[in-house]
Amino acid sequence: MENIAALSNEQITRDLLPQKFGRRGMIWTGSLIVLCLVGAYAYYRQLKYGLVVTNMRDYVSWGIYISNFVFFVAISLVGSLITAIFRLANVKWATPLTRIAEIIAVSAIVFASLIIIVDMGRPERFMNLFIHGRIQSPIMWDVIVIGTYFFISCLLLYFPLLPDLKILISVKEKTGKALNKLYRFQGSFWKGTKAQFRISDKAINILCIIIIPVAFCIHTVTSWLFATTYRPGWDSTNFGAYFISGAFLVGAGGVVVAMYVFRKAYHLDKYITPKHFEKMGRIVVLLALLYLYFNINEYLVPAFKMKKPEEAHLAQLFTGEYALLFWFAIMIGMIIPIIMLVFTKGRRPLPVFIAGVMVVIGAWFKRYLIVTPTLLHPFLPMQNVPESYHHYFPSWEEWAIAIGSLSGALLIITLFARIYPIIPIHETITEQHEEVEKK
Amino acid sequence: MKKLKKNKLVWLFLALSVISSNSLSGQEDSVAPKEIVKLHYFNHNNSLQYLLIESQLKKGKKIEPQKNKGFNLFLDKVQPENLITRVYTDNSGKAKAVIPPQLKDLWDSAAQHTFLVVAEAAGKGEETTSEFIITKAKISLDTSSTDETKNISVTVMKYDNNSWVPVKDVEVKIGIERLGGVLPAGDEDSYTTDSTGAVTGEFKKINLPGDEQGNFLLIARVEDNDELGNLMIDKKVPWGITTKQDNTFFDQRTLWSTRFKTPLWLLFMAYSIVIGVWGTIIYLVIQLIKIKKLASLSAEK
Repeated sequence: MENIAALSNEQITRDLLPQKFGRRGMIWTGSLIVLCLVGAYAYYRQLKYGLVVTNMRDYVSWGIYISNFVFFVAISLVGSLITAIFRLANVKWATPLTRIAEIIAVSAIVFASLIIIVDMGRPERFMNLFIHGRIQSPIMWDVIVIGTYFFISCLLLYFPLLPDLKILISVKEKTGKALNKLYRFQGSFWKGTKAQFRISDKAINILCIIIIPVAFCIHTVTSWLFATTYRPGWDSTNFGAYFISGAFLVGAGGVVVAMYVFRKAYHLDKYITPKHFEKMGRIVVLLALLYLYFNINEYLVPAFKMKKPEEAHLAQLFTGEYALLFWFAIMIGMIIPIIMLVFTKGRRPLPVFIAGVMVVIGAWFKRYLIVTPTLLHPFLPMQNVPESYHHYFPSWEEWAIAIGSLSGALLIITLFARIYPIIPIHETITEQHEEVEKK
Repeated sequence: MKKLKKNKLVWLFLALSVISSNSLSGQEDSVAPKEIVKLHYFNHNNSLQYLLIESQLKKGKKIEPQKNKGFNLFLDKVQPENLITRVYTDNSGKAKAVIPPQLKDLWDSAAQHTFLVVAEAAGKGEETTSEFIITKAKISLDTSSTDETKNISVTVMKYDNNSWVPVKDVEVKIGIERLGGVLPAGDEDSYTTDSTGAVTGEFKKINLPGDEQGNFLLIARVEDNDELGNLMIDKKVPWGITTKQDNTFFDQRTLWSTRFKTPLWLLFMAYSIVIGVWGTIIYLVIQLIKIKKLASLSAEK
């Protein structure tokens, strides 16, 4: 952000104000809405005819929906990484990325909650989970921790937004009447007094501290949904750390992609610079190496012992029915990004963006591979069941709902960027002043 | 030239074998599947009589259950007033039927009855009728015990000329009802009735757990007898060891218990975390309200 030192406050405000959708923005938003509507129609069919419209049967009872849920939970962890950890570590260069990270976290956690309800055959019985819930069940822990994380993420998004709301209210002629009403409703009470800043800063610090253990909990508990079940591929004491490392990786990958897209779409080259990509590239490569380490642990140790049920599971992953998908996820999700990002030239904006896209795609398929092949390998052999029970490939309704949910998350991010500044204006101005004073 | 002749012979042989194999498989395909219908008659405790129809299709050497096949069951004659019931087979090719009360007079009128099973016509085929003749019979079970031995006596009688007469040479199984099936009560798996229609077996399974009063069920069975069908009788006897159900296992505070029996340590941990985190969230919301109040204060000034 060194190059913004010469910019005036007005210039920064003008650059960072939310912008109306252009032609491309309209096409993008329209496409997302269409995909969401197709997903909603598929869900309507699922509600009408029941879970029979899916290809989930007795054995694969957690299909693409739960894979998607794990993916959303994973990507939501990025909020704690970029916002909380960087803030607490006083990492100044990450300021333009904090709001991007937080909105990714909020949108992902919203759809993580929704997709778990979609997976329920009788969603109207959701309340029974609270009325008759057992605190001994990891599913109950997951419900509690997801709700908690959602609230904390919303607060962490809202508190730093307050000073920006004041700026947005002051430029009514640029933002429009309707949006101004919204800004007034949300932040007209923010006057920017010292006392208000003192309380706000303290609240943000508390949030940054509290979100880290909650974020760790959310993904550890999600991993325990699997690890507390005695099945090949899931029966691991390593699962919590394995899931968290993977979550940090996909979260960082998601931020890198969003950084590049927003930089291009909103012409934010002065604020999101090659330096940001260089640093985020380093983080992604570190996290990819860490996740690769946990992957080796997850597969090497059972492969060394080669217990019979584990053997069938591993054989299907490494050389069997899922081999193509497995190696694709490993290569795209870890190996190729590591090779690309380990070199300085690979940490320029475009290569980092490509590596980020690969990490996110690889991560989605990795979640699918964690969930499905294990369910097809129960300890007792599958006997006297229809042939279709031995395999799983999602139905069109499942694909439509999964793609609809991913589009929904992207739609939240897109609409947020349309309404609010995607880079904190006030913080950017403050840091610019600090830099000028230092000089 | 010789080689050519030899080759011709080989080709001829191959062509013949292909034709013959094709015609053989064609013959096999053309053989119509054969329908097999079996009827089993059951008499439980001399009171409840029911019938079990088993329908199968034989295709070559393969026998498969015939699903959703309709049958009309008649007693003695194929006429509407003698209709027992109409049934359809399930996925295992079986269907159950109970003799209805309106046929009681007809059932009481004779010692021997014929069950007529009329299978619904399949496609362009015709209805087929199968006959099964059953003689009315009853089975009784008595027990006697001394200090040292416990004996079980079973008698099998059939209805003949308006009176019950003993049936000789009937195979009877005597056992004890357990969770996984019937455990033979004596040394023998089965016994054969004498001229008085009786068998006696000594109860050998001592120290067998019973219920809370030490009871278990003794069972005597005649299985798939050509003349009498399946007869079964049971009797509760106090020959077992009394067992007390241990409910303490379910009464513990464990991870697998109901929500009312959550381990205290887990309750403490979970609630501490929830209260700690949500307490902080509430505190932060209060801070937000404070910020709002500060604004109104500054406006008043």
